[in-house]
Parts: sequence; structure tokens; C-alpha cells
Amino acid sequence: MTVKIRFFARFRELLGTDIMTDVVAGMMFSSLITTIAKKNPEGYDAIFDEKGTFREFVILMKNGKRIDIADAAKTPVEDGDEIAVFPPVAGG
Amino acid sequence: MIAIQLADVDIGDLIRAAKKHGTGAVIVFDGVVRDDDITEMELEAYEDIAKQELQNIAKDATEQFRLLQVDIIHRIGCLAVGENILVIVVAAGHREEAYAGSRYIIEAIKAGVPIWKKELTKNGGRWVPGEHGHGRPKTS
Repeated sequence: MTVKIRFFARFRELLGTDIMTDVVAGMMFSSLITTIAKKNPEGYDAIFDEKGTFREFVILMKNGKRIDIADAAKTPVEDGDEIAVFPPVAGG
Repeated sequence: MIAIQLADVDIGDLIRAAKKHGTGAVIVFDGVVRDDDITEMELEAYEDIAKQELQNIAKDATEQFRLLQVDIIHRIGCLAVGENILVIVVAAGHREEAYAGSRYIIEAIKAGVPIWKKELTKNGGRWVPGEHGHGRPKTS
């Protein structure tokens, strides 16, 4: 089962983007991002607080739909999913 | 025309195309790279999603303010001071709808469309902080 993870802006600089990774069935959104982010302590700290939960400002998407931080631990990722994690937007 | 692109756009062409039957007012918003002691600005987008959200915003604005034409062109890539970042052209029968529609569109873009800016300076770079945290409420 493979999913694609996309980080943007500062998160991309710290963790890379378009990361294809194999996941086991039943893996949850938050577990997946925790595992990937731990590859760079600075990247992890940018996204997670000291309790290991998503920082309040972090925005999560699964296949283009926003996922509430409160739901990330109970949202499973599935084969072919595109997962996105990014800081507040600043366009315009 | 709704686009996220590297290239600049000819605003004059957009204005000419916006003058349709029934048009009484055309409003142009042109956001440019401000000279905040920076060397240039780098723009990044989650392109597929950002374009879809721009299309949703244009549709909402068209319905809400009875707009006759909406163009939104948001640029990405490296831009110099003074270059266009975002061009919004709206046409309506009357000025009230045109002004209100234009304002609605820029505020909605700032609130929720996944685009980011990095200001590059002689000493490095800094990401421009977003104004809205989690941004525009979900509409779908």
C-alpha cells in the first residue's frame, strides 16, 4: 500500500516533498506524518508540539480535503492517497 | 481565466475581454511585490488544489455579486520587486457589485488558498506568515 506525502513551504524545506512511502493497512494519518517527520528533528518540531500532537496552525489534507487535527489520529490512510501537510497560507 | 502560472499576464487584454454585453464596471486588483528591503520573492503553491479553490471562489463570487466575468491569475516562482503577484479582474453591471466581488475574491484567497510566499533578502529568506490560521471554512 503506497501513499504520497506532500509538504509545502517551510515544511517542504525541512522534510522534502512528493515522498512515496509504503504503509501498512490501518495506519492513521497522524502516525504516518509522525514517522516521516521524525527523520528531521527540526521538521518534526515545526509540525508537532512537545506532546507529539500537531501544532494548532498546521493544516492537513487528504486527497484535497481538509482533515481536522482532532480527527487525524482516527483517519486511516489508504492505498493511493495524497496526503498534504502545510503551514498557514499566505497567497495574494 | 483562472490560472496559477509562472508567466506574467497582460492586464489590458483581460480588461478588454471583460467588457461584455451588460458590463458597466470593471475592477482590477493587481497585487505586486512590495519593496520591503527584499531582493526578490519566491512563491509556491499546492497547484491542483489552489486552482480548484480559485475556481470555487470565482463561482461563489459570480453568484453572490452577479458578476459577468471573473479572471484570477496567481503567479508562482521567483518574482522581482514591482512584479505582478496576483491579478483579479471582475466585471459587473454596476460598480457596487464589481467592488464587492473583487474584495470578496482577494479576501477569500488570502484566507484559504494554499499558496505561500518567501521573501528573499541579502541575509537569507523568511516565509511570510499567513493571516488566517486554518483559513476559509470548508464548503464541501
